[in-house]
Amino acid sequence: MTAKPKLSMYWAASCGGCEIALVNINEKILDVDAAFDFMFCPCLLDTKYKDIEALPDGDILITLFNGAIRTSENEHMARLLRKKSKLLIAFGSCAAEGCIPGLANLTNKRDILKTCYLDNPSIDNPSGETPKPETEMPEGKLCIPEFYGSVKTLAQTVDVDYFIPGCPPEPHQIWAVVETVLNILQTGAPLPPKGAVLGGGKSSVCEECERKKEDKKITGFRRTYEFVPDREQCLLEQGVVCMGIATRDGCGALCPKVNMPCTGCYGPPEGVLDQGAKMVAALGSIIDIGDLKGMKEDAIDKKIDEVISTIPDWAGTFYKYSLPGSIMKGRVA
Amino acid sequence: MKIGIYFCKCGTNISDKIDSEKVKTGLPSGPSELSFKTIDFMCSEDGKESLEKDIKENGIERVVVSACSPRDHENTFMRVLSKAGINPYLMQMVNVREQVAWVTEDNEKATEKAGRYINAAICRVELHDPLEKKEIDICPDVLVIGAGPAGLKTALSIAESGRKVVIVEKTPVIGGMPVRFEELFPNMECGPCMLEPVLGDILHGEHAENIELLTIAEVVDVVGSYGNFTVTVKQKPRYSDIHKCIGCGECIEPCPVSAKNIYNCNLSERKAISFPFAGALPNAPFIDEAICLKKKGYDCSLCKDACPVEDAIIFDDAERTIVRNVGAIVVAIGSDSYDCTKIPDLGYGKIPDVHTGVEFERILASNGPTYGEIQTSQGAAPKSVAIIHCVGSLDKEHKEYCSGICCQYAFKFNHLIENKLPGAKIHHFYKELVIPGKEDFHLYNHAKENPNSTFIRYNNIETLAVSEKEGKKIITNSADGSSVEADMVILCPAVVPTVESGKLGTILEATHDKFGFFEELHGRMDSTQSKIKGVYLAGTCQSPMDIQKTMNQGMAAAGYILSGLVAGRKLEIKPITAVVEEDRCSGCRVCVLVCPYKAVAYDTEKGSSVVNEVLCQGCGTCVAACPVGAIKGNHFTNNEILAEIEGVLS
Ligand SMILES: Cc1cc2nc3c(=O)[nH]c(=O)nc-3n(C[C@H](O)[C@H](O)[C@H](O)COP(=O)(O)OP(=O)(O)OC[C@H]3O[C@@H](n4cnc5c(N)ncnc54)[C@H](O)[C@@H]3O)c2cc1C
Ligand code: SF4
Ligand code: SF4
Ligand code: SF4
Ligand code: SF4
Ligand code: SF4
Repeated sequence: MTAKPKLSMYWAASCGGCEIALVNINEKILDVDAAFDFMFCPCLLDTKYKDIEALPDGDILITLFNGAIRTSENEHMARLLRKKSKLLIAFGSCAAEGCIPGLANLTNKRDILKTCYLDNPSIDNPSGETPKPETEMPEGKLCIPEFYGSVKTLAQTVDVDYFIPGCPPEPHQIWAVVETVLNILQTGAPLPPKGAVLGGGKSSVCEECERKKEDKKITGFRRTYEFVPDREQCLLEQGVVCMGIATRDGCGALCPKVNMPCTGCYGPPEGVLDQGAKMVAALGSIIDIGDLKGMKEDAIDKKIDEVISTIPDWAGTFYKYSLPGSIMKGRVA
Repeated sequence: MKIGIYFCKCGTNISDKIDSEKVKTGLPSGPSELSFKTIDFMCSEDGKESLEKDIKENGIERVVVSACSPRDHENTFMRVLSKAGINPYLMQMVNVREQVAWVTEDNEKATEKAGRYINAAICRVELHDPLEKKEIDICPDVLVIGAGPAGLKTALSIAESGRKVVIVEKTPVIGGMPVRFEELFPNMECGPCMLEPVLGDILHGEHAENIELLTIAEVVDVVGSYGNFTVTVKQKPRYSDIHKCIGCGECIEPCPVSAKNIYNCNLSERKAISFPFAGALPNAPFIDEAICLKKKGYDCSLCKDACPVEDAIIFDDAERTIVRNVGAIVVAIGSDSYDCTKIPDLGYGKIPDVHTGVEFERILASNGPTYGEIQTSQGAAPKSVAIIHCVGSLDKEHKEYCSGICCQYAFKFNHLIENKLPGAKIHHFYKELVIPGKEDFHLYNHAKENPNSTFIRYNNIETLAVSEKEGKKIITNSADGSSVEADMVILCPAVVPTVESGKLGTILEATHDKFGFFEELHGRMDSTQSKIKGVYLAGTCQSPMDIQKTMNQGMAAAGYILSGLVAGRKLEIKPITAVVEEDRCSGCRVCVLVCPYKAVAYDTEKGSSVVNEVLCQGCGTCVAACPVGAIKGNHFTNNEILAEIEGVLS
């Protein structure tokens, strides 16, 4: 009997939700186990880095890599797993686009360390020590991974074969990818083109959202704590910033289903380079500030400001999941 | 792929600044095979020939023309490509003359800049798709809405060219406002007489058979687009046959019921069967079903009994729904007067003998309520008349714009009052005087020279008040405490859009400006086209104007239609349009309202938005708006644009 192909899963800068999502395929995890040698997953299995280092290159068939690249350890593991895997898949929004850890790119390393280790009211740090790769202690040298200046996506660090979107990816989509892979293994069918996004659709969340949609024109925005949105009508039309229009379909429109706006975790739709910019372009096209003919420029500016100031936290809303992967990537200075 | 780069020297225009040899050596090495040629004057006959020859002889597959603005010669070189046997859209033009040679001082910088632009064009042209123009069949017939001077001018011109026209007029009478005016500025011609040749030709002229006139009718639905509209018209019964009726008027006298005549601004009565006014065309009466006894179920047929022609009166006439196909639509529904009760101190509607301009026109008209006699409500000839200009015009509180015609008709009134009531005092209350043009000063001079005229300037209409004391009207100006007495007051209200303008706009999807007038494509260049292709605007529905401009616009609309929509010729659709990838469209409907040409619609059956190629102008607005990236802008695809940007930056 030939050995089962190896499957690994690794977490870099992430929350652990992706592992939970994998396990959430429930009893189908047994099928995964039957088909693969699930040999590395720090969250679930006790394999050591050195075991991976000992493998021949390309020995792992598939690595599901979740998490963004925040530290030198993240980068080291990304490079290592790239070398040891035939197929490296960016699994989940953090690996694919940077996601919530990536919002740290709105600030910088110095300010982050200051907030966490110096200004944090629950920390007692009289010597003002902040983490460094090497710190001399009475007991000896303390070595920890380096905290990088900004967060990168997996593909900005190593070559990536495929992407699975979602924060986290939905179990039914994970299973769909697994099934595709199993089918390829059994039938020798061709692999999807390199760089493809697996486990998602080619349209946007609105495609899967069952709400009633009309021609759009929006005069102002509201947040869900201010009113109870109608359950039938499109949330965006009710003035709630729903990122569903500019987010890849695949989740089954989970959030609108429970009367909450989509926040965009499935990332940009196929072919869209920058989810936030696309959202801004779309909103800019449908915001109705009334008749402007004959109005002075500053009066027009004021009208525009009045409407867009009702959108909270622009970067956090439009780039919640995609900042490092976006065209801007984050703060430059 | 073999790309030919043709560098035009444009004499010394380009070659003085840009070193073509350096550009050539700096060309990138990419997957494509590049050939670089310089041509002295590419747009000359020789230049075009050598371009064609080179493309053919060297098997060039894509072309970059480095020359002048595409506005100058893109079409020229596209034609050369076609002649050379390659798709004309497989070319990219780089404007190194206007955008580099003419504006970049330093030769070296100019050369570098040109090199970058050419590189961008190479990157882009590799991705170009061959595109084909499409052609569709058109219907050359035309719908004209409104039978005033504007609409009739268009209709007649089009009918004269042998094309079919449907005229839809809301009222029973054609000719619009001026047929109700006794005389017209600037030359004091008789209104009905001046228009008679047009009206006569419309009804009975050589080309009348090309014209279908639907009176007491309105457009209720329009679908389709330029070249192929389907129009639904509802026509109310007239109860007389305009072809059989000889217009003798025998039916009118016997009719026992009457009501106010709106065609005389309610200043006189009208029978249930009547002509709107003497001489109204078409020359056949109509029955007002709201008051006709027969229509109310009584046993009356006095009119029909008196009628000498069999079946000229049709009691069982009924509402009709008429559907017509047309290729173009002309909106010519005219305008209205500002509601003077919105300036209550002027006493309009409360104090007798305070009239609007239109009412006074009817009073002056020999077929009007007083048969042309100027009389007060007491039946006396007024000894003094006050004319208040700018009622609501040039006024931020009311209408900001100048209505442009009021001063002129006010001076026309001066002239007519002087003729009819020699010695009567005429007081002009004005804010500004506007009398442009080469003909219009005569009446102004005349009024100025009239020893019985006075000119009183006011600043703000709100300080004027009209009151009544023992039959006299007293006009006071609280700004300076002055007051003037008059027996009659004439208000010149702002010209405003008609109430139906909004409804019709919705049916046609044509937009309005902030005042409610139909909005033109461009105020200077295209004031006769609406923003909807194939929907034209003529006359005062677009902006206040006099009859001269009205007629010109009517003719301009006919011109657009006759040149753009030619029977037997197909409508050419340029391929630079937006295209929706239907299977990727999520149906979010973000794109529908953004199109300035109303070319995007959501198709419920397909569950996808669709772009109407006839209407789409390729502006790209929807392409940018679609959050899915499901709309492709032909010839300006995201990939083409990105490649171009990368080409400039690399
Ligand atoms: C008091 C006064 C005096 C004037 N005196 C002069 C003058 O002396 N000289 C001069 O050059 N200009 C004069 N003008 C201006 C002149 O009247 C206009 O320029 C002219 O009438 C504009 O023609 P039109 O065809 O655009 O509109 P109109 O003449 O208003 O004709 C519009 C037609 O459309 C019809 N209609 C309206 N709504 C609809 C609908 N929904 N469906 C179908 N049909 C519809 C109307 O019934 C009407 O028949 C005067 C204007 C006023 C107010
Ligand atoms: S609620 Fe959100 S996901 Fe649903 S249709 Fe509206 S914008 Fe799209
Ligand atoms: S609706 Fe939006 S935020 Fe919610 S799960 Fe789906 S993609 Fe993520
Ligand atoms: S039938 Fe009607 S219109 Fe004719 S005479 Fe009688 S009331 Fe007048
Ligand atoms: S490209 Fe412009 S004109 Fe064409 S459909 Fe889109 S928005 Fe309309
Ligand atoms: S904006 Fe795009 S996805 Fe939305 S309806 Fe239009 S074409 Fe479809």
